[in-house]
Amino acid sequence: MNLVDDVLAHFETTVSSPDESGVTRFSTVNLDLRALATFLMQAGARFVTITATELPRGEGFCLEYLWDSGGHLLNFSFSTAAKTVSSIYDVCEAADWIEREIHEEYAIDFVGREYEPLLLRAGDRAGVNLREVAK
Amino acid sequence: MSYRLPMGPFHPGLEEPYKLEMICEGETIRDAKLHIGFNFRGIEHLAETRNYIQLIALMERVCGICSFVHTLTLCQAMEKLTSIEPPPRALYIRVIMAELERLHSHVLWAGIAAKLMGFKTMFMACFAYREQVMDMLQAISGNRVNYSMNRIGGVNRDIADPDMILKMVNRLESEIARELVPVFTTSVTARSRCADIGVLTHEKAVSCGAVGPTARASGVPQDLRRDAPYAAYAEMEFDVPVETAGDVRARLLVRAQEILQSCRILRQALGGLPAGEIASSETKFVFQTASAISRVEAPRGEVIYHVGWKQNSRTPSRVHVRTPTYVNMPTVRWMVQGARVADAPLIQASIDPCYSCTDR
Repeated sequence: MNLVDDVLAHFETTVSSPDESGVTRFSTVNLDLRALATFLMQAGARFVTITATELPRGEGFCLEYLWDSGGHLLNFSFSTAAKTVSSIYDVCEAADWIEREIHEEYAIDFVGREYEPLLLRAGDRAGVNLREVAK
Repeated sequence: MSYRLPMGPFHPGLEEPYKLEMICEGETIRDAKLHIGFNFRGIEHLAETRNYIQLIALMERVCGICSFVHTLTLCQAMEKLTSIEPPPRALYIRVIMAELERLHSHVLWAGIAAKLMGFKTMFMACFAYREQVMDMLQAISGNRVNYSMNRIGGVNRDIADPDMILKMVNRLESEIARELVPVFTTSVTARSRCADIGVLTHEKAVSCGAVGPTARASGVPQDLRRDAPYAAYAEMEFDVPVETAGDVRARLLVRAQEILQSCRILRQALGGLPAGEIASSETKFVFQTASAISRVEAPRGEVIYHVGWKQNSRTPSRVHVRTPTYVNMPTVRWMVQGARVADAPLIQASIDPCYSCTDR
């Protein structure tokens, strides 16, 4: 798949072989999310979603950005101890609602965007829907 | 002078909460904001407290229309985590159930669309068509909404009489091709309410990441059944209908053609149903410490489940669900710009929204 080679040539990341369902997983540390989003959009890839997972013992979060290229799923994952990450909303419109949802569920701040109005109505502050209710 | 006009959270045509806040000048909509989350249920969080059996029952309740698709996507993810392969007959039964669900979803949508057009005779006709499909789903599973068909490694119930379903499919296809499709494509009522209304351009469909019939009606030829086949879809021959106009009529035409393609797939799956078991004989399995992703082409478009599990844990560490309406709904903002206020209910219904899925 040429897009995988192109990503490897342009970004500091390692890749595992696609699994049986065609998911190619990229692991990365300092990924420029906005540059990656722009690159993938230009290559004709479709943004699918972001999965956020809270790491145990307050170690932060794992964020996995999923993109589709002709039926192949590309998974870019990284962990962050900080609660901030660059927003890709202005370069990838499709990421709007999921960034808002993750902000509200986990209080992760996507830098460079606004969140109002709240997407989910269960609480009046960020982080109330999944993280706080569990306590 | 512009004014703000709220539509919802009680929708004029659909029984689910959602709000479209329109900024209008006279009868023309200039812009709109969408509000969801009025009935957010926190199912993803709840999933982290359920074992794998309870999890299937829970996720079946994400949606009342495509409940089979949700358990199918979840079970496919869990099958990757447990390395269990469903037998061929189970894969065929999954295709049959998924296509019956697509049939009833699309026909239900056609009925709702007809009602919003002011075409109530067709609304009644569509619900009569749909009832035939619901009867088949009940005959197979014993249920009409939550079918309880999927399990890890296969399905729970066999299809004892494929010929009975085949007869219904042939009859339904003939009735829909003879009555429903011509009325929707040629009647003055349908044409005047749908043609050139609520246009979603190809560029906007791509930039918003639209999926399913909403994307295909704007010239985006994506369908996971063909692009990333699952269950037994790799063995099926079918076409992916694509229209380029991007208006309500194009979305209607795509779904009408998809009904006929579903009948085509059903004939193949029912005719070629392999003999054998309906579920894996492995009764003991272990979840690996990993995450698995599964995708299915639901009636409204791509559903994705991202499931994380830790070995020896009774419950998943994470279940993320991305439903098709979640990505299709933001496109409504672009569809209603420049439209008449009176067309707004039909335009937003034309994406076949499911607020239950969205407020999962």
